[in-house]
Amino acid sequence: MNTLRGSAVAALLLAAASSAWAHHSATMFEQTRTITVEGVVKEFQWTNPHSWLLVDVTDKNGKVTTWGFEAEGPSTLQRAGIRPSEFKAGTRVTMTGRPMKDGRPAAIWVLAVRGDGKKFDPREGFQVK
Amino acid sequence: MKLTSLVATAVLLIGTALLVNTVRAEDAAEARQRMIELGKAHKTAESLYLALKERAHGGRRLAPSSMPDWSGVYTRARGGITFDPDQQRGAPPTAKLTPEFQRKLAERIEMANKGIEWDPISTCSPPGHPRWLTEPFLRDFVVTPDQTYLINEMVNDIRRIYTDGRGHIAKEDRLPLYNGDSIGFWDGDKLVIHTNQLQAGIYQRRNPDYTDQVETVEIWQKVNPRLIEVDVWVYDPPALVEPWYTKQSYAKLDDQNKTLRIRYWHCGENQNNTVVETDGGGTQFRDFTFDGQGSGIGDQGSGGKP
Repeated sequence: MNTLRGSAVAALLLAAASSAWAHHSATMFEQTRTITVEGVVKEFQWTNPHSWLLVDVTDKNGKVTTWGFEAEGPSTLQRAGIRPSEFKAGTRVTMTGRPMKDGRPAAIWVLAVRGDGKKFDPREGFQVK
Repeated sequence: MKLTSLVATAVLLIGTALLVNTVRAEDAAEARQRMIELGKAHKTAESLYLALKERAHGGRRLAPSSMPDWSGVYTRARGGITFDPDQQRGAPPTAKLTPEFQRKLAERIEMANKGIEWDPISTCSPPGHPRWLTEPFLRDFVVTPDQTYLINEMVNDIRRIYTDGRGHIAKEDRLPLYNGDSIGFWDGDKLVIHTNQLQAGIYQRRNPDYTDQVETVEIWQKVNPRLIEVDVWVYDPPALVEPWYTKQSYAKLDDQNKTLRIRYWHCGENQNNTVVETDGGGTQFRDFTFDGQGSGIGDQGSGGKP
């Protein structure tokens, strides 16, 4: 079941997400709006300088769209507890992100909530600890 | 009675904490001002470096038995992706810029506020020094008697600091380099570095430009088992009306499970990471390969404006 909705709740997350975005500018993404989608993991592209979590989202008419959620590379994600083994293909997940301005199905990964309720915030990978 | 005593104790503790913090803040401000004045007392980076070397009686040569332990994996402790970690949030950079470079900075920030921004490292070009100091990824530092390697994970970026007493390359044989040419000496447990022969670049997004006349002096010191601090003076006469002093810091990360790795970077690893500069100077992705075209991992992509 697909849901796609604006998220006022994500305002706090947005502040954290915009604090740093290395390698390339994030100006192709919305700066003040987030979306939330539910779907299943298609593939986790565990690559430098950015990783992509691909999520298949099915709409009410049964059409499947693959969304891509961009995050930092493996070293940073690992520090946030995010690894491919946590997002195997078929895993149910609710993704919150800042979408592309041009309407393509891609977003900055702000928060992932897995089907078992576990949350994954890529920004935690920049925490010094 | 008991409650009164508790409240009094709490007030005393809070007051002491506030006082200590205030004193520390004043100490930090005074220390920063001293460093700013030290930089201003020298017209060039070379002059400051030579003065520090004279003060250290030429510096010392490390022996294997006297090398400081800088082992471990570090990351930038403060500053996000702003050059000066002490820049207040929302405030302009602390550099004192010439009018031309002030105008350039204002234009860059104005364009970024409109959503138009292109970062020269978007295609995995090295950030270059002094921007090197600001990148937010993993780092490690390798000290040997004659050379220290300062390694930043981002695009496999290594600075080599020669501490064997050699000088810089002769002037007529120089060329602008991403990380320049760095020589240094040890003053006790402090590594003092002079870097010249740098390429022009930007200190960071929404930060000023520097020219290929930029030079730096740095003093690196491990101040406690988990922190390395660096005093940095940047000299760049076309862009700065006085040296730009900042204090950078790098924190050692917990790695009890020995899982942290510094990995090789290449922008061609995943086609979905290919970004290009638009005609208007903005940043945009090329086509994604999310759906039915394979992962794109390992593809070079069709390239973009470098």
